Formats: sequence, structure tokens, C-alpha cells
Amino acid sequence: MIETREVNFAYRRGEPVINDIDCKIEDGEFVALLGHNGSGKTTLSRLFMALMHPRSGEVYVDGENIAKKEPADLADRVGYVFQNPDLQILADTVWDEVAYGPRNKKLSEEKIREQVEEALAATGLTDFADVYPRILSFGQKRRLGVAAALALKPRILLLDEITNGQDSLEKEQMMNYLRAINEEQGITIVLITHDMNIARLYARRVIVLHNGNLVFDDVPEELFNGMKDLTEWGLQQPTMAALAATFELTAVNAADFCAQLTLKAGEK
Amino acid sequence: MRVTAFTQLITVLAVTALVFILPVQVVSFILVLELALLLYIRHDRMTMAAIGALTVFTGMMILLQLLFQSTLEVAMIGGLRMLVMTMAFLCLLAATRIQDIAQALVERFHMPCEYAFMLTTALRFVPDFLADSTATLDAQSCRGYSNRGNVFKRLYSYLVVIKPLVMRAVAKSDTLALSMELKGFGANTYKNMKKQELGLGDYLVLAIVVILSTYKFWIKYL
Amino acid sequence: MSNYAVEFKNFHYAYNGGEVVLKDINVSVKEGSFTVLLGPSGAGKTTMCKAMAGIIPYYYGGRYAGSVEVLGEDTKGRRVSDIAMHLGLMLEDYESQLVSLTAGEEVSFSLLNHGFPPDEVEERTKKALEDVGLPGRENYQLDELSGGQRQRLLLASVLAVHPRVLVLDEPVSAMDPEGSASLYKLLYKIHQKYNMTVIVVEHNLDYVLPYVTDMIVLQDGGVVASGSFEEAAAIAHEDRELRRILPALWQVKLNLEKRDGIHLGMWRNTKDAIIELKEKYGRVEL
Repeated sequence: MIETREVNFAYRRGEPVINDIDCKIEDGEFVALLGHNGSGKTTLSRLFMALMHPRSGEVYVDGENIAKKEPADLADRVGYVFQNPDLQILADTVWDEVAYGPRNKKLSEEKIREQVEEALAATGLTDFADVYPRILSFGQKRRLGVAAALALKPRILLLDEITNGQDSLEKEQMMNYLRAINEEQGITIVLITHDMNIARLYARRVIVLHNGNLVFDDVPEELFNGMKDLTEWGLQQPTMAALAATFELTAVNAADFCAQLTLKAGEK
Repeated sequence: MRVTAFTQLITVLAVTALVFILPVQVVSFILVLELALLLYIRHDRMTMAAIGALTVFTGMMILLQLLFQSTLEVAMIGGLRMLVMTMAFLCLLAATRIQDIAQALVERFHMPCEYAFMLTTALRFVPDFLADSTATLDAQSCRGYSNRGNVFKRLYSYLVVIKPLVMRAVAKSDTLALSMELKGFGANTYKNMKKQELGLGDYLVLAIVVILSTYKFWIKYL
Repeated sequence: MSNYAVEFKNFHYAYNGGEVVLKDINVSVKEGSFTVLLGPSGAGKTTMCKAMAGIIPYYYGGRYAGSVEVLGEDTKGRRVSDIAMHLGLMLEDYESQLVSLTAGEEVSFSLLNHGFPPDEVEERTKKALEDVGLPGRENYQLDELSGGQRQRLLLASVLAVHPRVLVLDEPVSAMDPEGSASLYKLLYKIHQKYNMTVIVVEHNLDYVLPYVTDMIVLQDGGVVASGSFEEAAAIAHEDRELRRILPALWQVKLNLEKRDGIHLGMWRNTKDAIIELKEKYGRVEL
């Protein structure tokens, strides 16, 4: 469980990046953290992981104030996956890469093997255990980043824009893995993204930041039902949501929309 | 008074020889000149840090010489010479753009354009690599690697960063080389740049350098 | 003289020591078009872009068959820097394509290498920077520019030589929606202003929908569909995998057209779609 109380952050040059944010994320949630470029969403996630510390206010992980902690202290409770997979590759085989974390924590060989196998299975990389990480495809490298974080068995996973630059098929695949991790293992997922579709289809809670302020915190339906003007916050209404809302249908994808639309038209 | 990169390069090279030719008092004077110049051009934190580092380095050299049983005087003079030489290079870097240095090297010193361009490329990519290394260090930390306390642990963590960094550098240099090829990099690159013509200031400085270099000849006649 | 910007004739290619990446490519890009190159990851789109610039196969080596023509001339035997005067290439890792320390130097680099006189270099540099929305920034150091600005700088350096064709490989993969929309708006502006052929590889077709004229769909190294956007999209829609990479809007359009046997217009955005749908599917209680 992560909580921030009245957290503020600004870089030395002055302009505040995070203004007085109160935010509480419970176990097992699937949260999408949205916001325009510079809204503070990445900064907030970095505060969660103690990669940065707030200028004022507190951040608590499982009830403990993490002001004096560094990310290594939190690694077995909170996992962080960065956007650029190439910069996170530290080992020569997929297995070693995923084992990096558990080895740092000096776990027994048994435990390490167990946790690495689990992490590989959860991200569909079991068959790639002996592969040199750099020859993996971009999507696979991304999943490797997730596996490496999972290996320490954190209860919370923070993911920074990990569907950026991938085609829709790969995005879907990644999101399905995340959904499985969340539903089967109860791991909290906090996904920073600017992909509205993903937020809409997979998240159960959406938090929107705008200019460093928390402006929305509720279920996705409330955000995407067409009632709110998302452009105000630098966001875009996902296409299907806009169409569905206009025609008062509940479809989330194209096929369903067409079916419902013709059905409705047929009723006239 | 504008002095071209060429003149500056010649001056710096000359200084490295002059420290051995000229008497100690003159060399000390040159040191003062260098410091004044440096602080006049750029008095930011980095420059101060660089001066500080060079001084410390020189101090270590002096100590080392003393350890090997030189007299204090010899050690001090040796240290002074070292400091003046290294400061000269620092002045060069502070006073001139690296692109101009590269151009002078190709135009006047006939260095192949590929080597000269490496200077620019290095400067171009260093900030990028520093940023990349931060990302990798963060990733390490998030996976439980703590480099608290132990100096060796700290050093080791930087070592682990080197591999992904080098990999990335190789990939980037591939794209860079391609880009340079597409843009037609070659013999023409430096040929067509605006020529750095020697002006009054250059001739003055060069004259001074020549006079000082021939010191041993004319001092007899004074 | 053909009026094709790029023509692939029976082109096959395999990287050194690798499998065949492009198989029997026979496709042309019309001059003045805004063409999108679509396909799943690994389909060969980047390779195709490099082939258009002539760096495949001649700079990379590898095995090939067939030919690629740019503005009527075969890329074979030509120096890549000569081809670059007519066809500008922007790869996904645009940062590594920037070679200089200041903006002005970056833009004039290519011009200097090709022996343009200093006055003209200055003039063209100024114009190019203005065109991409970075006026007067000749003396800006590279690290004074943001990521988006650096990309525009690369675009300026490519434009300075006045090419007729622009090829961009996933230009906005690392950008947020706002930045992406604004880059495409800029590309369209340049496309219109200079009647430049624009060929862009893009996953998220929502960004290009307002501007696109033609499309080439690549799958497993082969061309599955090509032609006007409407034609190519209709063909792609028939394939279950390809259907999912079409923009949601067009998935709806093509689905409805097929299902109800009607013909809907060239939807360029959600508004277009809503207007036409309301028309065709009767009134909706609001």
C-alpha cells in the first residue's frame, strides 16, 4: 500500500512539479496514472519508489515513511520498470538478468531459482532463459524489464510508459500479462501511460494529474463517458469511448460497437 | 582581441616547451597569467573544480618526487612546470570552441577529418551518456543494489553500468556513422567552413611566442 | 520520367548472415502523396525505409535482388549522400542522427559537405529552422533543446537540402499525444508547402488519419496491400491480425460497410465519423 500526504516537489530551478498531492493506492488495485507531458506523473511515481524525495510532505509504503530510504531498500516491496528497456539490461542472459535482484538480496539458491522461474512464467519468457537479452525483440525486452522487477516479489509494480512505441498487438499482449499478474497474484499495478485506450480497457482506477495537481481519481468509466472535457487536461478522448458515448452504447471495441449500432438502428 | 584557434593551439604547444626553456620566475608569471585568463573567461563552478583538481594532482606529483629523494627545489620546479602545462590546456578548452579547434587541426595541422571530428562527437555525446548512466544506476538501485557506505561498492556499481553504456554507445555510433555518411561527411567538411583568418591579435601572440622560444639565443646579448 | 517518388521492383533483401527480410516487393509511392507504411513489428518496415534511402543494400551489404528507384533513378551505384539530396531519411533514433554541437551547424552540415557557397548555406539554414518552428536558434547548443525540438532540428537539417521525398521511421514513438499531433501537423504543413512526398512508418494511425492519402501494408516481409488509404485499409481489414492495427475508427467504418453493404466516406477524425453515422443510422436520443 502506497500513500502520499500533501506531497510537494520542485526542482532546484523553482517551478513546482507536484503540488500538494494526497494519494492512496491499496493492495491489488490496477491504477492508470494519466496526464499530459510535464504533469508530474513520472515524478510522482519516482517519489513512490524513493528515486526522488519530496520537498515537503510524506510518502508511506505499507505504513512506513520512506523519507530516509533509497530504492534498493524498497525493491522487495515495490518494483519499478523504466521506459527504456535497453538501459535496464545488466546481464548476459535472460536468467541472470532476472536473477540480478534476488541475488542482490542474497537469497538462497533455491529461492532465487523459484522466484526467477515464477517471474519468467508470469511474463511468458520461460523459453528465453538462456538467450542474450539484446537480441530479444523490443516487446520482449520490455517484458524482461517487468520480469526483472517481479523477481523480487514486490507487492506493487510501477510501470513507466511501457507500452510506448509498440504496435497494438504487442500492447495487448503486455497488458494481458499485467492483468494476469494483477488478478492471479494480487499484485498492485500502477501504470503511467498516455494511452487512453489502455487506461480505459485495463485499469480499474484512473488518476489524472494536470500541472502537478491531482484533478481526477475515480473509475475509468467516469472519465471516459464523454461527460468530461479531457482536452482541458491535455488528454484525448479515446475514439471508441467518444463514439460509444455519442450513441449511448456501451461497446468498448469496434466490433461490438457496430453490432450495437445496427441493432439500435434496426429498432427504429 | 580575437585570437584564432590555430594561434591558441600553437601557444599551448609552445608553453609545454617554454616551461623548460624559460627561467622559473617567468614560468611563474605565465602561471599567474593563465589563472587570470581562466578566471576572466569562465568563472563557473566547473572551472574552479578543474583548477582545484589540477592543483591537487600537481601537489601529488611534488610529493612523489620528494619521496624519490629529489630536493625540495627540484620538486617544486617540476610541479610548477606541470601545473603551467596542464593549465594551458585548460585555458585552451575554456577559451575556444571545440569545433574551431577541430577545424584548425584539419586546416593547419593537416589532421585527417575523421580524427578531428571525434573531438566534436565526444563532446556531443558525453551529456547523453551521462544521462544514460543515471538511468542504468537507477535501474540497479530499483533491483536492490545498494551502494551505500562502501566506496568499493560504489565503484563497482559504476563498473556494472559501463557494459550497457558501451553497448548503447556502439549502437548509437552505428546510427551516427550512417547519418554522417548520408550527410556527405568527408574531405569537404572542413574545407568549406568559414576560414579562420589570422588577424592582428594572432600575429602579435605568435610574435611573442617566437620571441620567448628563442629566449636562450638573445638572452646572451642582454 | 515516372511520376513515382519511390518504386520497388521485385526487390528482395536479407541482412548479412540473416534471413530474408523483404520478399518480392513490388510497390510504388506516388509523388506528392502522404503515404503511411503500416505493419506489425518485424514486418520489415524499417528495412524498407533504409532501402528507399539506398543504404540497403549498398551501405549495409547483405544479399539482394531486384531494384529500388528513387525519382526514376536506380539507387544502385549511387552514393548515399547523393540520394540524400533528393530523399531525406529520419530514423527512429533521431538523437543519434544529430552530429553537431549547435543547431546552425547541424542544419548546414550537409550543405557544407556538398559545396554550397556560405551565403546560400546561411540562407537555407535560416529558412529550414523557420520552417520547423525553431526560428533564430542557429547558436543554440544541442543540450539547450528539448527532445521534440531536437527532432525538429533533424527535420530542418534534412529539409535544408530541399529533398523531394521525406521518409520517417516511427517519428513519434517516444512522444506524448500532444507532441505527436504537433509533429504531424508540421509534417503536413511542409508536405503542402513544398509538395513533398511524405512516407512515414507509424503504428498509431490516429495521428496520420487527418493527412494520409496512401498506404502500404507490410506483413512478414511482403506487401499485403497498397494503394489509396481506403483501398489498402479495406484489404487489411480482411486479415484478422492486420485488422487490429487499423485505427478503431476505420475498424468501425469497414465493419459497417461490410455488414450493411453501404459506403461510408473518408473519415479523417472522430467528428467526421459521428456526423456520417448520425446521418446513416438515424436519429439518436441525446
